[in-house]
Amino acid sequence: MSDSIQTISPETLKSEYVSPENCEFFALAHGFLGARIDGKEYKRVILSRALPLTEPDKYICICDVEKNELGIINDTSVFPEEQRKLIAQELSKRYFCPVITEIKSVKEKFGNFYFDVMIGDYKKNFTVKNLTKNIRYHGEGFDVIDVDGNRYRIPDFKAISPKSRRNLEPYLY
Amino acid sequence: MKKHRPPDPPERENKNKNKLPAHICRAAQEKGLSTEGLISACRGDMDNEAAYHDSWLFFDDKGIYIIRGREETVKRPKKHVSPEPSVLIDKIEAIPADNIRSLNAERYTSTGRLIMSENSEDIPLTYFSLGLIGDFDFFARAFNSYKETGEIPEDDQPGKEGGKCKKCGAPCPPGKDYCKKHDKNKGTAVRLIKFFGGHVRQIAVIIFVMVLSAAAQVLVPQVSTRALYDNVLSGGGPLEQSLKALGTLVLTVVGMRLLNTGLTIFQEYLSASIMPRVMYDIKVKIFDAMQRLSVGFYSSKQTGSLMDRVTRDANNIYWFFTDGVPRFIIDVSMLIGILIIMFSMNWRLSLLALITTPLLILTLVLGDRLFRRMHHRVWVMHSRARSLVSDNINGQRIIKAFAKEEDEFEHFSAVSDNVKNAEVRLGVAEATLFPLLEIFVLLLTTLVLGAGGVMVAKGESNMTTGTLLSFIVYVNMLKEPFGFLAWISNWWARCSDSAQRVFEIADAVPDITEKADAVGFENLRGDVEINELEFEYEPARPVINKLSLKAPAGTMLGIVGKTGAGKTTIANLIARLYDAKSGCVKIDGIDVKDLKLSELRRNIGLVSQDIYLFIGSIADNIRYAKPDASMDEVIAAAKAACAHDFIMKLPDGYETRVGAGGQSLSGGEKQRISIARTIIQNPKILILDEATAAMDTETERNIQRSLGLLTHGRTTIAIAHRLSTLRDSDYLAVIDNGTIAEYGTYRELMTNKGEFYRLYKIQSEALKTIGIGGEEEKAAEENAEEEHHE
Repeated sequence: MSDSIQTISPETLKSEYVSPENCEFFALAHGFLGARIDGKEYKRVILSRALPLTEPDKYICICDVEKNELGIINDTSVFPEEQRKLIAQELSKRYFCPVITEIKSVKEKFGNFYFDVMIGDYKKNFTVKNLTKNIRYHGEGFDVIDVDGNRYRIPDFKAISPKSRRNLEPYLY
Repeated sequence: MKKHRPPDPPERENKNKNKLPAHICRAAQEKGLSTEGLISACRGDMDNEAAYHDSWLFFDDKGIYIIRGREETVKRPKKHVSPEPSVLIDKIEAIPADNIRSLNAERYTSTGRLIMSENSEDIPLTYFSLGLIGDFDFFARAFNSYKETGEIPEDDQPGKEGGKCKKCGAPCPPGKDYCKKHDKNKGTAVRLIKFFGGHVRQIAVIIFVMVLSAAAQVLVPQVSTRALYDNVLSGGGPLEQSLKALGTLVLTVVGMRLLNTGLTIFQEYLSASIMPRVMYDIKVKIFDAMQRLSVGFYSSKQTGSLMDRVTRDANNIYWFFTDGVPRFIIDVSMLIGILIIMFSMNWRLSLLALITTPLLILTLVLGDRLFRRMHHRVWVMHSRARSLVSDNINGQRIIKAFAKEEDEFEHFSAVSDNVKNAEVRLGVAEATLFPLLEIFVLLLTTLVLGAGGVMVAKGESNMTTGTLLSFIVYVNMLKEPFGFLAWISNWWARCSDSAQRVFEIADAVPDITEKADAVGFENLRGDVEINELEFEYEPARPVINKLSLKAPAGTMLGIVGKTGAGKTTIANLIARLYDAKSGCVKIDGIDVKDLKLSELRRNIGLVSQDIYLFIGSIADNIRYAKPDASMDEVIAAAKAACAHDFIMKLPDGYETRVGAGGQSLSGGEKQRISIARTIIQNPKILILDEATAAMDTETERNIQRSLGLLTHGRTTIAIAHRLSTLRDSDYLAVIDNGTIAEYGTYRELMTNKGEFYRLYKIQSEALKTIGIGGEEEKAAEENAEEEHHE
């Protein structure tokens, strides 16, 4: 049987998991990430989350710049702290999401929702169509996706001010 | 007066991607940076650490420049003069062009990043919001192209454009030109009214009748209450005279009521004759516009949402104009009439009644806002439950196959529970607020009654018992128009929202347009040539990358590749269902963009794996491309497509109804009908896109035979998974990641033992494993081996 035809089972999938023994990440110039996997060195690897909303630190695929998969990190917690920092840095760049710190107002007009929010000390306005579809819940918070595809995160809805919560609550179901 | 600018640009400088706004150029020049040699520019909104920061990028012959700073608007003293933007530059970065090999806009989850390649190193230049990826992708391509050829691409970028308010530059939703502040929807109202343009006379009559009807309603209390009390009940005259007066009063009231009913019937009769005509015009306009739009529009919108526009949105407009507008005219007329009568009866009492009305209106508005939110919540819950039911019905086979009935029931129960809770909350709120409103009106009338009673007791000249009682009736009558007027703005908002969605389709410019000087074929041979083709459905996600191919007239070109390699996209680009980002597709040496669309599509036959049969008979479906085809032609085409035999076994033969709600046919049967449809079309160029992918081996062989007849003498582009079906191809192309991985004849590729051979081996081994085929493949392999040795 050809190599390409093989059954993938949870056991065989484990063989694709990388561990600190066979995988080491290193920082490249200009903030990029490189990796040494099974003794082979890769310049610039790209990490992507399989479960970005619910398990951001588990099931992370490692790819080269041509998008070929090199391995899977089953759980980042098995890596030493320094390595975890490198992984987190790379992921935070790729999954960077501005965090909404205050919701000044949400107004509905003609089926569009106009958000007036603060991201830190930066005032930002954006428009969301179809709130039911464009609010993605995760844990205690959620992501809001605007008409251009930009995401804005509220990591913990209970942690923002009561006034902010009151402004958005009527639209959350 | 200075104030921090709104975060989004006050000018739509991205409209012209090759320019910087004048105030940025001025500020750059003040800092010693000349923008005179500017070739292309774009605006950014983040720095290299992903923090929001205004920036402007441009390049010239010498290099790339990044201006980082903060834009501000200086308010002009006069209102009608738009604010003048200015910029405070923090930093200018300059990168010499010689140091840059290429630029690339990378797409991340919520942001993008402009990366510069310098020899063997990648260097990030800046982050940007995902909404700007189209601009940055264009900027990167412009730079790369200029560095390579000295020119920048002429094509416009795909994806979302603009989205900025024409008045203030704030963001606004796609399809809208104004932000929430400036979206007054005047345009929508005017455009809607224009649909009534052909019925001006009838509308004038309707309005006149409505005003008359309102006047009749307003005058009734004058007779039924005031005159009754003052002239009959408290007249003190002889009984006969009182009875006569009473009779006159009763007859007058009956007459006025009859007049009112007659006027209402006449008004509704006139409305009923106009509204269906207006709705017909609106629906035809939407449907006509939808036919002109390109495939890309349909891919970006859900079918349900488009169906809604023809049905639900059109109905929203219908009901607003059928129910809302007449009631508005009547209520406004009544309100004016009531106020005139009240003030003429007693101005002091009228003022007393009006002093409290703002409170009444405020309560109505607040109540409406509360109910709107609650109604919205109920609507969302209902729509979730509806989706779940629809999902459940469509997935019944899978649910049963996985024995998931219990789980599905529990899921539905949970969603239904939410619907119930939302409805209970709304019901409780309504049951509480409405009686409260009644109490409010009661208090108002009591106040008027008290004050009026004192006036009557004092014997004030113009205040009689009848006047007071009719006053009370008028105060009560005010409640309805006020309530309606407080609510109609929401109704109008809903109607206007629907109208905007309708106009969005009517105004949408098709991605694929025909040039004014488009040419036709004089004598089509069928040479297909693809040159340096590049295409992407979303900015910075290339699907086809610098792909070149040739299929000389009358030959067959087979295209193979993994799922998602871009095979179907090539077929779509040849048929010009989409336009390429760069490069071109030529037929007989003419770019498809220069050809008349009808002529191009008439000469290209597409047999796809997504088979669609329209509602109608099998014969109608076969003659879809040529409605005047004779029955002889239909049967001949069906025979050629190996469809005749199974059609004849159906009780209604060629008159069997197919499509939604019709006879259910197997995938193979449907495919054979679609092939017969293409045979009737008789195209010069044939595209077979995985035409037999879903067929069993025997059906596939039958269809292959019919396709063999169909391809004879035509240029054929065949996309297939099963490689053995492409053995008759004159040329074969293996596509990988949107580019050519291998190209040659079947034998050449088998001999070369490259990517095609590898795919072939995998497939034949897989077929052997499940006990299908193998012999043909083995023979082919041996043939190739022999040739190789020779």
